[in-house]
Amino acid sequence: MRLTLTFVRARSLWLALALACASTYSSQAKDVAPPTGIPPDKVADFVHAVLDADRTIYTNQVVNRMQAKGIVSATEHWEHENALPLPAQFLQHSGKLVAESGRGIRYRLISLWPIYQRNAPATDLERKALESFAQTPDRPFTGIVTSGRKQYFQAVYSDRATSAACVKCHNNHPLSPKRDFALHDVMGGMTITIPLD
Amino acid sequence: MTSTSHPLSKALGWGLKRKLIVSMLMVGVIPLLLGLSMAFLQGSKEIQVVSGESFQALATEAARKLDLLVAEEVARTSRITVHPDIVRALEHRRDALHTSDKNAALPALVQERARWAARDPAAVKEITGNPTALLLQGFYAGAQSEPDQLLPQVVRAATKKLFVTDVQGNLFAALTTTPSFAHADNVWWKGAFNRGVGQLYIEDLHFDEQANAYVFSISLPIMDSLRYEVVGVLHRVIDAKEFFSPSTHPIRFGKTGHVMLVDSRGTVLSCPILPTGVRLSDLSLIPQVTAREPGWVTADSDGHGGQGTAIIGFAPLPETSRATNGALEQGGWHTFVWQSSDELFAPIRHLMMWMLILATIALGLLATLGYFAASRIVTPVRRLQEAARLIGRGELQEPIQIHTGDELEDLAIEFNRMNTQLEAAFAGLNTQVEEKTQEVQYLQKSTDQVLDAVPTPIIMIDQKGLIQYMNRASQEALQTQDHSWSGRPLFDVLPLDEDHLQALRRDLRLVEGHTASAQPRLDSEPAQKEARDPLNQTHTQASSSSRPELRIGSHLYHYEWFPLESRSGAGKRFGLVLRDTTDETRLQDQLIQAEKSGSLDVLTAGIGHELNNPLFGILGLGEAIQEEGDLARAKGYAQDIVGHGRKMAAIIRDFTGVATRESKNQRVPVDVTAQLDQALAIVQTSHDCLGLNVQKHYVAVSPVTALPDQLRLAFINVLTNAIQAMSGRGDLWLTTDEQDELITIKIRDNGPGIPKQHLGKVFDPFYTTKGQGEGSGLGLTVAQRLIKKFGGEIRLESPDGQGTTCVITLPADKAGVRKEEPCVSP
Repeated sequence: MRLTLTFVRARSLWLALALACASTYSSQAKDVAPPTGIPPDKVADFVHAVLDADRTIYTNQVVNRMQAKGIVSATEHWEHENALPLPAQFLQHSGKLVAESGRGIRYRLISLWPIYQRNAPATDLERKALESFAQTPDRPFTGIVTSGRKQYFQAVYSDRATSAACVKCHNNHPLSPKRDFALHDVMGGMTITIPLD
Repeated sequence: MTSTSHPLSKALGWGLKRKLIVSMLMVGVIPLLLGLSMAFLQGSKEIQVVSGESFQALATEAARKLDLLVAEEVARTSRITVHPDIVRALEHRRDALHTSDKNAALPALVQERARWAARDPAAVKEITGNPTALLLQGFYAGAQSEPDQLLPQVVRAATKKLFVTDVQGNLFAALTTTPSFAHADNVWWKGAFNRGVGQLYIEDLHFDEQANAYVFSISLPIMDSLRYEVVGVLHRVIDAKEFFSPSTHPIRFGKTGHVMLVDSRGTVLSCPILPTGVRLSDLSLIPQVTAREPGWVTADSDGHGGQGTAIIGFAPLPETSRATNGALEQGGWHTFVWQSSDELFAPIRHLMMWMLILATIALGLLATLGYFAASRIVTPVRRLQEAARLIGRGELQEPIQIHTGDELEDLAIEFNRMNTQLEAAFAGLNTQVEEKTQEVQYLQKSTDQVLDAVPTPIIMIDQKGLIQYMNRASQEALQTQDHSWSGRPLFDVLPLDEDHLQALRRDLRLVEGHTASAQPRLDSEPAQKEARDPLNQTHTQASSSSRPELRIGSHLYHYEWFPLESRSGAGKRFGLVLRDTTDETRLQDQLIQAEKSGSLDVLTAGIGHELNNPLFGILGLGEAIQEEGDLARAKGYAQDIVGHGRKMAAIIRDFTGVATRESKNQRVPVDVTAQLDQALAIVQTSHDCLGLNVQKHYVAVSPVTALPDQLRLAFINVLTNAIQAMSGRGDLWLTTDEQDELITIKIRDNGPGIPKQHLGKVFDPFYTTKGQGEGSGLGLTVAQRLIKKFGGEIRLESPDGQGTTCVITLPADKAGVRKEEPCVSP
């Protein structure tokens, strides 16, 4: 089995997209086809914007307000504690729902310091993307990845600790490998995967 | 201290002392029991709450620990699933399945399955010897793991199966030959595959025949290198008991307290007491302890077969429960913390026992103290009671000595004062009673002496007719022995014939009837007097038995009953007085006899005298006529003879009025006024009444029942008497009146009147104040007899110098018809 990873900067997205459209099992593109439809990085950008906005609204307008008023708090085991899901869980569960719907597009949160190993980076692209956020946290890391014969477009967006709840949970969780997060630190990233075939 | 068994207390039931002791005990016991039961209830409740919360905390903590254990194991297993070689192999397999000819693939698959089932060595080698299988073996043995990630011995021993399926659910690699080939239809495979998305799937406890143990399984999806989709499933079967017991069994508290792990169906995964695989004994307990949130309940059973209140803490394994059976909603795993209620409530039971022992001691003390206290109160009360009894009998000699300094002492002082006053009062009363008794005895003696001295027999009887008293005279009269009469019936003692006894009884009854109206009996008196009329003896004589007389021996007694004062409540008493009339009656009979014979003499002489004078006149005049030649003179003589004849006729008429019997006894209603007028007219014709001035004052009166001739005769006699008294000149007043059914006729003259000494004799026969020949002396006698015959009365009143008034009263006959009979002169 051959796994080809292509690392591209955002600037070279067009080239990568053209390649992906022209050939299904080749990383080398000879011709430049005129753009049709919406480029996948745009799609990922749209999706990320929607997801980020939804999670922000949930975090600020639901969780923070409820916690501030003492009505209900957000905890990891919210099912057992009559509580709200954590914002990260909100995103993960919605991602699961999207995946189960069979539309093809998937997204998930990853980190170099995951509490659960399933949230560790799965591909080199993801790992490099997370590593790149140390220098350029505001720039999404995209690329085309393959799984066997299948090709996917992946975009990784950095994810910051936007509320105290995020920091608190990750610093205190017994399974957390890193416990010195601060507010607004980049804690990981959001990977959006779009199948290309 | 007085004895407890006082007779009076016994009679009344509970004595004061016992009541006091019981009251004190009740005062002690009721609050004590209330307090103890409250303490017990409250204590039990608090123990329940405290234990429940502790159990809940422990269950939560144990759940977290077990959750981590499972999570750790899942994490450890998941390291296999991310092994790049395995992922790559499965990706390749996926791609191969995807591109291969579907028509050719199916028979190949079937063939491969058959070969595996037959344990074909090539097939077995293909699955258990491929690189993935080798990786699995390395992982299992620890060769593929970092030193810190070695599979613990416990986990390794607990792992019963470990194999990998491809994307279609068919066996791809295995440690052993035990797994079956196709798994696409298994629940765990579907759960872990999750439509290609993949998710952790932990299967509930079930019995695995190949492993011969109760197992649970962890199924992890093997994602492709991008973690995009599932390319295979790693399935690991773990012996629950071996896996969990090292974690749950050490958690013990007390003798019975422990932690157990149950799945959503109530099946025990691990328990120090119950074997793995059994379900909780009480099914109703399962929903209570498998709630989604941690908590504690007070249940009726403990789930271990014990009945009785049990306190159970429980908590779900939070992370594990998310994956059990695919989702939290499909049921999770729960810890279950329990301790035997006997042990749980032992402290409070010990406490209660001690408190009961102490309470019993306290009650004993209370009873003893109560006994002494009650004795102190009751003793003076008993003394007071005894004193009151003595006062009641009048025997209290010494004052009561009670010095308790409280109300009882005051009460004793009051008792002493009361006793003194009572004694004084009784002393005065005794003297008075003695005096009165002496007085009564004296009076009784005097009365007896007086009664004995009286010559008249007096007998007293009670209501039944029994003799109560006889005075000496009666004893002599009846010739009874001393006191042999006492209590005997009077009518047996009296030696009388039946007629007299009946008369006596009848009179007694009359007196009995009259005692209510208290009217004396007077009716027999007039009849007795009338009987003395010598001219009318046979007609008016009453039978001897109707007279109140009785004969005892040779004596004749006039008797009279009289009611006696009787004591209240006692029956009526009556007295009988016997008056000896033997001598009196004899004397009176002699007198009447003498009067009778005297009257006859006077009558004869009177008649002779009366008739003699005119007869001599007639004789003389007859002789003169014989000798007289002058006719005119002879006629004058003849006229005189007629006058004498008339006089004689009048005399004879008078006599016949007395003597003749009534020709008619038929009484009719008679108008009194008319008869009076007729009588006046007759009298006026036979007397010289030129100077008579008659004044009539009549009112309309009722008729009377009488014989008109005889009534008129009575009026004639009275009128004649009056006119003769006035010598034919003067005023005569006639008045009639009616009042109370009595008609009164008054005939009044203004003659010289009747001297008082003669008033009593005017009605006697032949008594007259007139000269010989002027009157027979029978007029008023006849009038009185007639008036009485008609039920009336006649009397004369003659105040000095005011003439004489004759008052006649007759009973009115209201019902009678006014009916006049023709007047017939006698």
